[in-house]
Parts: sequence; C-alpha cells; structure tokens
Amino acid sequence: MKLQNLSIKRKLMLITMLTSTVALLLFSASFLFYDLISFRHFLSQDLATQAEIIGYNSAAAMAFKDEAAASVTLTALKAKEDITAAILYTPDGKAFTRYVRANLVDPSLNGNQPRFEGIRFRDSHLEVVHAVSLNGEPVGTLFLQSDMSQWYSRAKRYAIFLLVFMLGSDLLALLIASKLQTLISGPILRLEDTMHMVSAQKNYEVRALKFYDDEIGRLIDGFNTMLSEIQQGDSALQSANDALKAQTLELESEILQRKQAQDELLSAKRTAEDASRAKSSFLANMSHELRTPLNAIIGYSEMIEEEIQDTGKFENVQDVKKIQSAGKHLLSLINDVLDLSKIEAGKMGLHLESFDVAQMVQEMVSTFQPTITKNSNTLQVNLAQDLGLMRADVTKVRQILFNLMSNACKFTNNGTVSLDVQRTTKGDREWLKFQVKDTGIGISAEQQKNLFKEFVQADASISRKYGGTGLGLAISYRFAQLMGGHFTAESEPGKGSTFTVHLPSKVSADVVEAVKAKENNGPLAEAPKPATQADTILVIDDDPAVRDLMFRHLVKSGFHVVVAADGEEGLKIAKRIQPRIITLDVLMPGIDGWEVLRRIKADPELAETPVIMVTIVDNEIMGLNLGSSNYVMKPVDRTLLTDLIEKHRKARPSSSSDVPVAV
Amino acid sequence: MKTLRFIAGCLLCVTLATASYAQSPNSSNSSEYLIKAGFTYNFAKLIQWPANAFPQPNSPVIIGIIGNDPFGGTLDEVLAGKNVNGRELVIKHLKWGADLKACNILFVSSSEALHIDEIFHIVKGLPILTIGETPNFARRGGIINFILEDEKVHFEVNVEAAKDADITISSRLLSLARIVPRTVADGSKAQ
Repeated sequence: MKLQNLSIKRKLMLITMLTSTVALLLFSASFLFYDLISFRHFLSQDLATQAEIIGYNSAAAMAFKDEAAASVTLTALKAKEDITAAILYTPDGKAFTRYVRANLVDPSLNGNQPRFEGIRFRDSHLEVVHAVSLNGEPVGTLFLQSDMSQWYSRAKRYAIFLLVFMLGSDLLALLIASKLQTLISGPILRLEDTMHMVSAQKNYEVRALKFYDDEIGRLIDGFNTMLSEIQQGDSALQSANDALKAQTLELESEILQRKQAQDELLSAKRTAEDASRAKSSFLANMSHELRTPLNAIIGYSEMIEEEIQDTGKFENVQDVKKIQSAGKHLLSLINDVLDLSKIEAGKMGLHLESFDVAQMVQEMVSTFQPTITKNSNTLQVNLAQDLGLMRADVTKVRQILFNLMSNACKFTNNGTVSLDVQRTTKGDREWLKFQVKDTGIGISAEQQKNLFKEFVQADASISRKYGGTGLGLAISYRFAQLMGGHFTAESEPGKGSTFTVHLPSKVSADVVEAVKAKENNGPLAEAPKPATQADTILVIDDDPAVRDLMFRHLVKSGFHVVVAADGEEGLKIAKRIQPRIITLDVLMPGIDGWEVLRRIKADPELAETPVIMVTIVDNEIMGLNLGSSNYVMKPVDRTLLTDLIEKHRKARPSSSSDVPVAV
Repeated sequence: MKTLRFIAGCLLCVTLATASYAQSPNSSNSSEYLIKAGFTYNFAKLIQWPANAFPQPNSPVIIGIIGNDPFGGTLDEVLAGKNVNGRELVIKHLKWGADLKACNILFVSSSEALHIDEIFHIVKGLPILTIGETPNFARRGGIINFILEDEKVHFEVNVEAAKDADITISSRLLSLARIVPRTVADGSKAQ
C-alpha cells in the first residue's frame, strides 16, 4: 500500500510517531554525545587529578629513592578499576617503579618514559604523563593509563537507558497520538460519512456536524454551504420540473381541447361539405328541373312562331317572340348561376382546343348585330392581321366576349361600341388582347371596386333599368383567371368604359386534357343552310317533348330523323340503321347515356359514328373523354345543334344516303 | 637555569643511584655522602621552621656542620644554586662556641659523638633541625639520624624532638622515615 494512500488517521499517527521518534533520537544522541564527551573530559580531568595526587604522594619517595614506598603508593591504585597501569620514571626517563593491572599485557608499557606531556587518548585508552616534583624540584615523571571502562560502561548504560526511554516515549506518544488524532481525523471521517450519505441517498438535507472552529471546521462550513446551495438548486430544479409538468399537463389539456375543437371543426366542415354537396345536387336538380320545362317552352314557342309565320298570322308573332325571349333570358340566368356555382365549387373544367381567333370573333359579332342596332349604336371591329390560332376553351372565350359586348351595348345609347383584338407579346408568352370600348354611361371609381363581384351591379337602380343578373362580369373575370389571363377595366362616368382581357395564346391545361375536338373545316360565318341531302340522324332521349322537338326541328332542317326512347332501343336502332349522326341524352331510365356512349364506341360498326351529347348533365369533359364528338347542353340551341350536325355531315361525305329509314 | 638544574639533578640522581647500589661501608665514602647531601637537601624541603627562625623572609637556610666535614665538598656541590622556598642554602663550618645556635640545620659529624648531649643542650628549644650519623643520635634527642642498612642509606626521625624544636616535619618525610622515641637520650644523658 503506498504511503500516500494511508488513511488520515494512520498518516497522523505516522507523522506523530516519526516526529517524536526523530526528535527523541536527535535529543538522545546529542544528549549521549554531550554526556560522553563531558564524561570523557571529566575522566581525563579525574585522571589528571589522580596523577597529581599520586605524583604528590610519590614525590618524596622518588626524592629519597624509596622504591618500596613508591611501589606501595602505586599499588594503592588497585582500588581504581579503570587504571590499567601506573609507572614512575626517574628524571632520566628510566622506569623507577610500576604498577600494572593483573592480566594486562601491553608491551608498549615496558619501554622508557612516553614522549608526551599531559593527557592523550590512545587505542581507546586514556593516558596521562605527569611531572613529579618536590617543592618545585622535579624528581621524576608519573605515567597513568586508564582503559576508560567507566566511560564505556556509562555509554552502554546510557544507550540502554535511552533505548528504553525512547521505546517508552514512543509508546506514550503512540497512545497520545491515537487519542489526539481523532481531533483532526474525527471531523474529517464524519464529514466523509456525511458525504457518502449525501451521494448515496441523494439526501441534500443532511448537514455535516461541526466540532471545532479550525480549518476543518471551515471546510465543514463550506461543505454545508455547498450542500444548502445544491439543495436550493435541487428544489429550484424540482419546482421548475413541477412547473414544467404542470405546464405540460396544461398543454396536453389544451391540445386535447384543440383536438376536440378540430374534431368539431372537422365535423362542421363535413357538415358544411355535405351542405355544399346538397346545394350542388340541389342546383343540379334544379337546373334539370328548370331546364326541362324551359326546353319545352322555348322549343314550342319557336315551333309556334314558325307555324304562325307559315299561317300568316303575324299579329301573334310578337307575343310568341316575347315568350321566347323571356324563356331565353331565364335560361341565361340559370346558366349564369350554374356557371358561378361551378366556378365556386372548383368544378369548372376547361375544354381546350385550337381555333381561329378571327373566325371565332366574327361568328360572335354576327350574332350581335341586332343588339347593336337596338340601341342605335355603331359597332367597330378591328381585328389585327396576325391573330392566327389560339388554344383555349373557345366556349368560355366566346362567353367572355359575349358578356363584354352585351354589357357595352346595354349601357350605351347612340354611341359606338368597338372591339379590338391584337396579338401581343409580354414576357416570354404570347397573349391575345381583347378590348371592348364603349361610349356609354361609364362606371364611377366607387362602382369599379365591386365590378367583378357576383350579383353586384353598379347600382341597384341599374338592374331595374337595364335588367341582368350582374353575374356576367364576375363570370367573365373568373373564366379569364381560369385560363391564366387577366382582366382590367377603365372607365369615366358619362364618357364610357374600356374593358381589356388578356388571354394566353396557349392556355396550359392544368385540368384534364380535353379530347381533341375535331377541326373546324369550314367557316361557320354564314348562316346555316338546309341540308341538301337527307342524312339519318338518330335521336336517343327519354323525354318525349325533347324527342318531338328535336325530330321536328331536324326534319325541318332537312335531316332524316329516327328517334329512340331509351338506351337499349337506341343501340338496337343504331346497329340496324347505321345512322349518320347520333344525338344522345345522358339521364335515361335503364342504361344511361354514358353507358350507351361507351357501347357505341366499343362497337366496331358504330365507333366511327359521331355522337353529340344533348343533355342537362353538365359534364362535357366526361362526355368528350368517353368519345363523344360534341356536348350540347339543354335547352338546345337549335342553331348550334344544326351547325354541329352540318359540320359532321360535311366532314364525312355521306356514303349511306340510301340507308333505309326506319321509325 | 632550568636546564642547568636539570643536568645537576640528573647528575645527582645518577650518582645517588650508583652510590646506593655501589656503596660499601668503607670503600666509597664519597657516594654515601653524596646521598646524604641530597637527603639533607630534601629534608630542608620537607620540614617547616617556625616563623621566628629566620630574621628576614628571604634569609637563607644556614646549614651548619660541626666536627669533621664528612662531605668533603659534595654538599656544596649538591646545594650549589639551589634554594628552598625562596631561601638560599648556605653551608657553615662551625666551631665550638656560641655560634652553634646561628644555624637552621645542624649536621653533627660522627666525630662529635662524645659531645652530642652537649650540643643538644646548647640548641635545646631552638628551631634547629639536628641531623646526625651516630647510632642512637635520634633516640638521644636528635631529630634526624642517618643509618646504613643493607648498604642503603635510611633515616630515623624523633618526632618528639622535632616538636620540642618547634619544627614541623612533612608527613611525606615521616612516611619514609623510621620513627624512634627519645629513650636512649636520657640514658646517654645519664652516662
């Protein structure tokens, strides 16, 4: 075990013992040394004194040459144990008489007088040479020799005594040290115990006991202070921990609450969505329900008008025309509301196709001529030469222009309505800029703010005066946005308004890619002409009114028409007669129009036959996806339908003009 | 001075030693008296006179010789340059008359054997150390008497006589001497 690792108790004892032993050793040694030196001095002095006495006592004998007397004097030294030899020399250095202790053989004593005076140590012997004189007269010399046995025995005694003394003292020191070391080691051991307790039990409430006000006492004070600090820190940590826990609990409860709120919100959202769905389906139903009677109203009013004109009762024409126009207005309102609700529901799809801009504009403009002349306005159409093709949803572009134009005409009297179309480049894209300008009443700055909001017309009085739902601009605005374009309006009240629409020349299809519509082969600018060749057209519709109207209208337009009341029947007839064109309703009892369309397209004999969907269901994308050629919403715009049929008829020269017609 | 004394001492000792071993009753008179001269000197050193014995503190110790001088000059040789307690030693050859008293040591030669009592009578009560070489000299009232024994010189001391003469003899001298009573003195006186 290393010395440094001894316990403090042992160290203290060791230090005490070492110190006391060394001190004792030094003390004893110096004491012994001093004593032996002084004793030797004393011995030599003593020997000198003895020499003096013996010299004195033997002086007379020497003077009188009385050898016997001198011998007697010397022999008296027998009593002195340590005197080993005494010799008297005559003044001439010869031995006069001698005393030598028994058993002592020292040849050096046999010679003449030693050549020194005084005292000397030789071979652990003390020797003295003393001049003997009688009344100042030298009579001889005395030589005395001591073996210092006294000195040696004294040294031995002292050594033994000191050894015993030292052992005793050490024992005593050990006893005292073992008692007194607790003064120092006791507090330290207690402190150590306390520390063990603290570290083992993590109990910071214990305190080390202080015994004395010394360094260890201060150490203990320091330890206690540290402990209390740790305790404070610990309790602070504990309280912080508790606070954290409490906060966590709070947080958890808050999270729980939020979750509940979220759940509630979710259910509310679901409810709202359900409500929205309900609204959508309601709207869909409503449109269906509204359009069906409108279909009949408009269709039959047209029929009546024609019949009246045929009979020559012109006075009734105006009344019937009023019925017609009211029906058409109602239809456009319904269409607008439906469009808006579709836009809001995000269900407005884009049917992209490439078309000739100039042609489209001219077609649109030609239908406006009556409206222009109604308010005594002049129409100016400025088309740039390089308009070329545009890829967009032509229906929606047309609707935007239609809205703008009809607004311009509506709010202008005796003025000019102009339409400018240009191709511009902005950024790295090509745009088509449509600008509709009028010299009408204009819009105030205040009114412009609400220009594109739904159902808000510039003034409440306006709707009374001019009519309209106020949805036109909002829908146009949304359509332009839908196609990635933008809409601006400038206006000065009393001077007129300018509406500008920028549309990309190639609208990127972020909706379902529309099935490529068939190219427009011929200009549609001219008015529809009656078909010169009777081609068979199959009309599949469950509504007898629709069937009747379609039949009469198409026959009038010069087509040969076959009708079928449901999908099954339609398919059978189609297979048998191989019609030129099929018009197909969607909502029918039995198999619906989608299924019929699917089967037609799956039938190799019928797959090439163009199918025009004529329906209330507003899902043009679906129809085009399934392979229909066109999608016409009810109530049917007869002109549009005639145009479409005409287009398809021309596209494929009739090869079955001799197809038998069956009813 | 010391060396001289030492040499003299050495000489004396040598002579004494040789004398003490080589002396014979009649043959070597001189060596016997050389020893006796040395002894006399030693006596002077080992006795103490009363204060009134000397007129001055540095008065010499006068050694008077009465009768035939047996030393034949050796005493002079031995004592030459010596002193005792700071006193010089002076030798006087005395004649019968009043000046017997004018000395501190009186050596009575053997030639004066018949006049011993007379001499004792003259010096009686005086602090004079009487030394003789006649048999029974001490017993008859002398203080110190040389005797020859085994061819060695010894001496007798009459302590009472010394006391009478107010002379103190060192114990060291007495330890070497033969102490004799004053018995024969009365007898001889009676003779």
